[in-house]
Amino acid sequence: MTMPMLSFSLTKRYPGFSLECEAEFASGRVAIFGPSGSGKTTILNCVAGLTQPDDGEIRIAGETVFSSESWRNVPPEKRRIGYVFQDSALFPHMSVRDNILYGHRLTPAKRRTLEPEQVIDLLRLGALLDRGVTGLSGGERQRVALARALATSPDMLLLDEPLSALDVAFRGTIIRYLKRITRELGTPIVYVSHSMSEVMALAEDVLVVDGGQKVVQAVPSIALAHPGVGALADYGTFENLVDAVVEQEARADGLAMVRVGDVLLSAPDVYAGRGDETTVSIRAADIILALDVPSRISAQNIVRGRVEEMHTLGPRVLVYVDVGAILVVEITPWAVADLNLREGQDVYLIIKSTSILALDRPNRPAG
Amino acid sequence: MDLDPILLTLQVAIVATLINVPVALAVSWLVVKRRVPGRILIEALVSLPLALPPVAIGLFLLLLLGREGPVGGVLDDLLGVEIVFTWVAAAIASAVVSFPLMARAIMVAMGEVDERLEMSARSLGAGPLRVTLTITIPLAYRGILAGLLLGFVRALSEFGATITVAGNIPGRTQTLSLAIYQKVQTRDDDAALALAGVSVALAVATLLVHNWLLERGRRAR
Repeated sequence: MTMPMLSFSLTKRYPGFSLECEAEFASGRVAIFGPSGSGKTTILNCVAGLTQPDDGEIRIAGETVFSSESWRNVPPEKRRIGYVFQDSALFPHMSVRDNILYGHRLTPAKRRTLEPEQVIDLLRLGALLDRGVTGLSGGERQRVALARALATSPDMLLLDEPLSALDVAFRGTIIRYLKRITRELGTPIVYVSHSMSEVMALAEDVLVVDGGQKVVQAVPSIALAHPGVGALADYGTFENLVDAVVEQEARADGLAMVRVGDVLLSAPDVYAGRGDETTVSIRAADIILALDVPSRISAQNIVRGRVEEMHTLGPRVLVYVDVGAILVVEITPWAVADLNLREGQDVYLIIKSTSILALDRPNRPAG
Repeated sequence: MDLDPILLTLQVAIVATLINVPVALAVSWLVVKRRVPGRILIEALVSLPLALPPVAIGLFLLLLLGREGPVGGVLDDLLGVEIVFTWVAAAIASAVVSFPLMARAIMVAMGEVDERLEMSARSLGAGPLRVTLTITIPLAYRGILAGLLLGFVRALSEFGATITVAGNIPGRTQTLSLAIYQKVQTRDDDAALALAGVSVALAVATLLVHNWLLERGRRAR
């Protein structure tokens, strides 16, 4: 059995709130999801060593960094984790380069597995190195913060709401960079989020907490369908945040073609060039599901897929449709009954072009 | 005009400031950043000289530093030196009286440094001392310098504790304020006014730099 990258069992009491939670994470990208005040950031701070639990044990990559029983409490600088704050917390008196190298210089040579050049390259920060940090855009700041943490060759990255301080336009960029970090560098990521859409887009495993207690830990599609998660997940606004590649740049009429999985979709306001990666947002409630190809309809995107999973949550059914990528479609139980919908069935998805939002903007100086 | 009191005042105030800076930095760090237990008591002690009559402070120092006192006695036995009624005593008196102003300003400056920057530095591998030297102090340096000048300007004008523990010996311990006092006592109003004018000039110059630093610090945030 492989060693878990992170396991903990924690108790932390505050006046009027107490956290009691235990979990174990294998590797890859994992999310801690919950509403604000649920204790998810407290968990992250305990793991980082920035908050001391009252009781319990924390193990990172097999090493015990905190144990109330054996009076062990490794200080944050010795925990080999990269912590990224929601608002980046860049050092304002240093250039981008000095920010990135701050932790790297403190990392013993034999522990360095990632070189700064590699990280700078991955996060495309080469052109910004000599700049100060105050003029950077939100997305750039977050990339510098990620690079600064990665340059210490950490055992894992801890991210506190990495997307929520960002302008919508930058969220896609950061989502893609986070995926590249685990894919290309192999650094596990634990991140805190209050958005199920983000969890679904990024995480392979999610721990749901509410009121300081664990609700469920599972893969995102199962966790999202858990009855205890219903009230937290805000289904009405659930968005599919999916990777896309620009197949055809925007024409004179303003529409471009992007590829999502195996299908081509027409979409407005795509600023990326042909061949570029982008991320698009499509609300689950904006997608119509049909068994036949409809005719004489204004919607421009009618694509074929296969029903992978279906989860009923009161008046909503979340249908996971595989089009080469997974798109979540939100329909009602009545619609399921009308269509006699089953898992494994082939269906058509009808998506208006104007329901597709590209989460990218051309690079521009921050205002 | 006799330059001695002016030069001596500067010497006393500079030495007092140099004594205070490391202590004020250390105490501020303990109270603001380490949150040591009993910090409310420490904060009260820091401000105490502000609330006491300077003459009382001078009296305590006299008892402490005199040949019969615990500190003065040791110095006398070991080194054969006596501090009381020397410019060193004046510097110590000025240091004690001006300490609260400096320490309180430095505490405010350190407290204004975003804790998340320091926590980030910690998780990037920096120990507490390194965080203080590379993050806290560089980001708070304008406020720290302003606090240093505030302490300095207070030390320039010290009178009560100084006259008690250092006397008023022309050429040896007579600072500007003591010289003004003597001129007033001897009804030499012109000389007193001239010396007071020098005091005003020194204070205004220092305070202008102090305010400029604070203004720059505010704009940098």
